[in-house]
Amino acid sequence: MTQFAQVVISGILVGGIYALISMGLNLILGVVRIINFAHGEFLMIAMYISFLLYSTWGLDPYVSAPIVALALFVFGWLVHRVIIQPILDTSATVKIFATLGLSITLQNFALMMWNADYRTVQTAYQTTVIRMGEVAVSVPRLIAFLVAVLISLGLFLFLKYTLTGKAIRAVAMEKRAAALAGIPVKRIYLLAFGIGSGLVGLAGSLLMPIYYVFPTVGTLFVLTAFVVVVLGGMGSMFGAFLGGLLIGLVEALAGVWISPGLKEAVYFAIFILVLLFRPSGLFSLGKGSEEVGLK
Amino acid sequence: MKRWLSFLLTGLIALTTACSGSPAAGGGGEKEVLQIGALYPLTGSSALLGDESYRGAELAVKLRNQNGGVAGGKTVELVKTDAPDANAAQAEADRLITQKGVKLILGSYSSSISFAASEVTERNGVLYWELGAVSDQVTERGYKYVIRTNPPASHFSKIEIDYIKDVVAEKLGKNPSDLRIGIVHEDSLYGTTVAEFVKKYAEEANLKLATIQPYNLKSVDLSSVVLNVKEAKPDVLIGVSYLNDAILFWRQAKELGLDVPVFIGTGGGHTMSDFQKALGKDVDGILNVDFPQYEINKEYTPGLDDFVKLYKDTYGEEPRSGHSLANFMGTNVLLDVIDQVGDIDPDKLREAAMNYKLEPGKSATGWGIQFDEKGQNKLGQPYVHQWIDGKLVVVWPKGAALKDVTLPMPKWSERQ
Repeated sequence: MTQFAQVVISGILVGGIYALISMGLNLILGVVRIINFAHGEFLMIAMYISFLLYSTWGLDPYVSAPIVALALFVFGWLVHRVIIQPILDTSATVKIFATLGLSITLQNFALMMWNADYRTVQTAYQTTVIRMGEVAVSVPRLIAFLVAVLISLGLFLFLKYTLTGKAIRAVAMEKRAAALAGIPVKRIYLLAFGIGSGLVGLAGSLLMPIYYVFPTVGTLFVLTAFVVVVLGGMGSMFGAFLGGLLIGLVEALAGVWISPGLKEAVYFAIFILVLLFRPSGLFSLGKGSEEVGLK
Repeated sequence: MKRWLSFLLTGLIALTTACSGSPAAGGGGEKEVLQIGALYPLTGSSALLGDESYRGAELAVKLRNQNGGVAGGKTVELVKTDAPDANAAQAEADRLITQKGVKLILGSYSSSISFAASEVTERNGVLYWELGAVSDQVTERGYKYVIRTNPPASHFSKIEIDYIKDVVAEKLGKNPSDLRIGIVHEDSLYGTTVAEFVKKYAEEANLKLATIQPYNLKSVDLSSVVLNVKEAKPDVLIGVSYLNDAILFWRQAKELGLDVPVFIGTGGGHTMSDFQKALGKDVDGILNVDFPQYEINKEYTPGLDDFVKLYKDTYGEEPRSGHSLANFMGTNVLLDVIDQVGDIDPDKLREAAMNYKLEPGKSATGWGIQFDEKGQNKLGQPYVHQWIDGKLVVVWPKGAALKDVTLPMPKWSERQ
């Protein structure tokens, strides 16, 4: 029984990490309707910035998190302005190649700058756990999870109640009508891409005490993030959050009940079922969102 | 028209051959340059150890050229080539042979790269000199032009089981047949190969297998692996991991309170200095079977200190793992053989290699050299190391050992 409780808690915590990474991707996918293949590399860049702030000035990753988020916001803004904006009206293939190219470029840029070495930060709380009887809860993972909860809540409120948030939603739903209503679509795109990147910046900072950074670290997370986004429903923040938790949980349980080697197979099987029966995702915004990024 | 074209082509081919051979034919004062292809993954996910391996070969060549070159003053030049995956390895090997005209390729750190590239070299009658890839199949295919200086994966598993039988059982005060063995391994070729051999040798030695836990290398959560091992309560846990999963496993083992009396890693991540940097003091006590590292009985490994000094002078840092050392040792053997033959001729080189003998304890790794029919070196073996005060120290076999092993590992609750 304690083992079961431990598995569930570990699964939910790692789900929080998936959710954290997926929310930025989801915003970009849902609003700008671009499949950003470089999302994992954005995470990698964020982790490197966090690491450099730590190694140069001794800034704790949690302390530097807002700086990293801001840096990534600016980075995302620039990427959108320089690379994405000019190709927005082209075919899906062009967009895919552009972001895929960006992903490869960033990986090799990192390799050139920082070698292939694995960089880690050393903090006092790194492997601290809270013990509840036999069940252990890792503190950095718990923090990442709580932040994921706060962000999904914050984003939800932002999108629901602020004027900018409403404009973002309007653009996501129907960009032509939004433009007719006087919403500056281009600026909203920039903003959404910036916020999406900023979120992944935050995710990178929170991951730094748990994981390590190297040039291809993004590839470990990005596939799962895409699955989470599609599973949860594109454009839905709660969808991304719950999708993340679901995959984390499925992975952990499959790892114990079936085999750790097969846990990915199990969640991909579930993913295929969802695609078959509910192609627009579990919490989708409606029909047609399954073709996001391809039209 | 056709004839004219064929003339032109013949001319072109003649010209290219002349060009590639021109240093030899060229000016009398010029030193002759012997080119060797060097195939390693220098970008992509294996970049770190690929680069580390390449450095070993590079330093061996550098040292030899400084000391007057081979075969009466010929200079050796490595054609550094990046092969991040099997496809690239094949393409690049092809390019090295057809465009650069090399007759000898060394490499390659990764078994999948070695497989792919040696297919191409075998077909073209080019010698493939393997210095670091461990899959048994590299030499087991019985290819004529493949020679390997490092020990294969099965030796790692063999040493692990021998060590458990001969040393660990006594240290834990148990009969070998009462010991419960667990395996955690990543499920790519490397992990599954080693795990299969561990299983085989453990059964032969009558050791009990308590649990086998495979997992995906790209996993970002190993809590289920840790919890399954915790349930199985093995006395000895054998791990086969790359770096990211090794770090993750140990962090989660600590978080989830997994205590094992003895842990034996199988090279890979458990060897790396980045592993120690990431985990700090928590690495102490972990055993690791791998190529020789640097904390070793120096009398058994002549030339090791010079290598480390040269490494630091050249790259401005300590060696990042023993991969460079193993590549250095193997490249030295190759250069000796070239020195004897006097030129790069695959058939002659192979023959000379077959007659090349070196006793254990006479090289920078302590390995001896004696190649079998399949081109596999019989006298190289991995050593058992233990992390002691943040350093990976050789503890077995006796000749190479620098310190005594301390077992069992302290429990997490007893550590500071």
